[in-house]
Amino acid sequence: MESRNKRVLIVDDNVALARVTQFALDGAGFETEMAYNGRLALEAAQRKHFDIVITDQQMPEMTGIELCRALRLLSEYAKCPIILLTAKGLELELPRLRKELDIEATFPKPFSPSAIVKKVDKLLAVNA
Amino acid sequence: MVLRSPNLGFPRKIVAYYLFFCLVAICWLAVGVFVVSHTIASSRTTSACLSRLGKASAAIEIEYVRHGVENLQKLLERSQISTGLAYGAIVSPDGTCLAHTDANLVGDQIVDPTGERLRWGDVTSVHFVDTRGRILDEYRVALEADNSQFGSLLFAVHKPSFGSTIRETAQVAPLAILIPLLLIAAGAVILARLARPVADIESQLRAIAAQTPTDEVQLKAMRATDAASSGWNRVVESYERSRGNSSGNDLNDRLAEAIQLRNKNQLDDILQSLPDGVAVTDVEGRITYTNRAIGALMGSYDDSENLNDDWSTGKTISDILDLDDQDLFSTEPSSRVAVSEINRDAGDSTRVLRVARQPLDDQWSHGYIWSVRDVTQQKLSEKMRDQFMDTATHELRTPLANIKAYAETLATCDSIEVSEQREFCNTINSEVTRLARFVDDLLSISSMEVGALILERQKVELSRLFDEVVSKVQPLMQQKSIDFVVDIPEKIGELKLDKDKMSAVIVNLLGNAAKYTPDSGRVEMRVAREPSQLQISIEDTGFGISPEELPKVFDKFFRSEDRRVLEEVGTGLGLSLAVEVVRMHGGDITVESEIDKGSTFLISIPIE
Repeated sequence: MESRNKRVLIVDDNVALARVTQFALDGAGFETEMAYNGRLALEAAQRKHFDIVITDQQMPEMTGIELCRALRLLSEYAKCPIILLTAKGLELELPRLRKELDIEATFPKPFSPSAIVKKVDKLLAVNA
Repeated sequence: MVLRSPNLGFPRKIVAYYLFFCLVAICWLAVGVFVVSHTIASSRTTSACLSRLGKASAAIEIEYVRHGVENLQKLLERSQISTGLAYGAIVSPDGTCLAHTDANLVGDQIVDPTGERLRWGDVTSVHFVDTRGRILDEYRVALEADNSQFGSLLFAVHKPSFGSTIRETAQVAPLAILIPLLLIAAGAVILARLARPVADIESQLRAIAAQTPTDEVQLKAMRATDAASSGWNRVVESYERSRGNSSGNDLNDRLAEAIQLRNKNQLDDILQSLPDGVAVTDVEGRITYTNRAIGALMGSYDDSENLNDDWSTGKTISDILDLDDQDLFSTEPSSRVAVSEINRDAGDSTRVLRVARQPLDDQWSHGYIWSVRDVTQQKLSEKMRDQFMDTATHELRTPLANIKAYAETLATCDSIEVSEQREFCNTINSEVTRLARFVDDLLSISSMEVGALILERQKVELSRLFDEVVSKVQPLMQQKSIDFVVDIPEKIGELKLDKDKMSAVIVNLLGNAAKYTPDSGRVEMRVAREPSQLQISIEDTGFGISPEELPKVFDKFFRSEDRRVLEEVGTGLGLSLAVEVVRMHGGDITVESEIDKGSTFLISIPIE
């Protein structure tokens, strides 16, 4: 399918988790790249074009939400689908944030990588 | 009568008595003087008369012998002039008047007067009242010539009357009476003056005595002129004081007042010694009371520790507190407790103060009671705890997320290579270990909190303990290429310890040393056994600890604010646990450190 050429940016300071997520997405035919913090993610996002960004929330220096805001300021990523992985209890604020930053989906940790893959498929199929 | 009058005042009574008796004495004296002079006068008259009589009779007898009765009249007349007789007469034995001072009576018959008769030798006296009512004394003596009596010579004198005596004495002794009278009068005045203060006291006492028993006793002070009046004034003063200001001098009232005053003072003392600040304002916020603490907390004391102008009553509380919270300043009557937090500079740090306003509704006033509490420490603890919670959730969720992700992948993925499978399983394994260690730490901390941390001491061979420790931390050291030096004497011997907990502590310290030391640094563990104690020192060449943070390093949840430290995962619990375990062994743990140079932790455990 066409969506399988899409590029995914995985942002997480938890290397192991990023790795297994990458593994699942690679297996589904996506092209993936990993960034271990927000700053590196922005750099990567501007170097290459990504069709979707999956980011952890709790990271040092820049949180996932902060990364989202920064990405939205970039014209290229204004409409890019973003998935947020949350470990902390942001439950109360999520609806508002999702609206404000146009976050497509949130996955609380621990999550199942196959579910992530399914979601990515769905989102990119729509945009295709 | 003076003696009987009940209305006469005290001094007047004394003076009256004094005057009365003096005057009675004077009168008695006057009467005595009068009687004495009267007696003297009359006896003088009698003796004068008698002596004249004698002389005259002798002269008459001689004249009779010479010339007979011819010149008797002339002789007699001469006698009267010189002796002041009432009358004089020569009477023949048959009663014929041969001569008389009153010439008309010559030749008449003279009757012997009747009256009191007295006889002095040859002289006979008669005391009688004549026809004209005059009191006379007649003295008669026989006239003899040639041994025959030819007649009698009569001299009569007036007895001095009272009137004449008075006239005489009045002439003679006016001063003798007058001067004592003046002295007595002066004495009366002085007596009155001396008695005045006592008089005032006495009149007050009489007034009190006249009151009914239920009336209150009133004492008035007087002008202090002498000791008695000063003493009285003191009595009045002391009486007034013990009576107090209350309307009643009932013992119960006074007691209640004293208790109330003591309670009020005690209450004030209590409020003044509270560490929390307390202020009372009226409904408009004007301050009516403050305790010492509120000034200190709000930073209102100047150097001399005097409450400065801020707190003088009259200022409003909004003048002093810059509260953003409008709730606290709403003047709508509210029975809610309003709370807010404010920051206040205190030297080179900032205090966090919790301000609460509560409506005050007592019988005297409506208003508010404000309390100010320093919650800086509390806030700090809360912040640390929040930090810990963040770390804990992260440290728990991360391994779980990893384990789940890898397990699920292994379970569902069709195309995993064997090497990848092994890799995934190893990851799961190490994540579990990581999780387990963290859970252990958490459990130790919890049991320490609850006080359930129990040491299970056994005889432990120290060389084995250290071997285990070293093998545990070796991978971590290698990972960061840290030069790990271990210096332990060969025959280190045995010691009674809780092996698990003690090795956990040493592992923790070594782990910290590795964590907070940059790659290719150095960590050295040295063990020394002295007669009285076992010493373990762990030295690193890591980030070091700043002097401000050094004392807090062993606090629960404490994590350095150094960015380099925060980047490493840590709970802030390891060192507080270490301290607890070491102390339970009877030992101590200390640290020395220098920023960017490194730290040295020293554990010493006594050997019993």
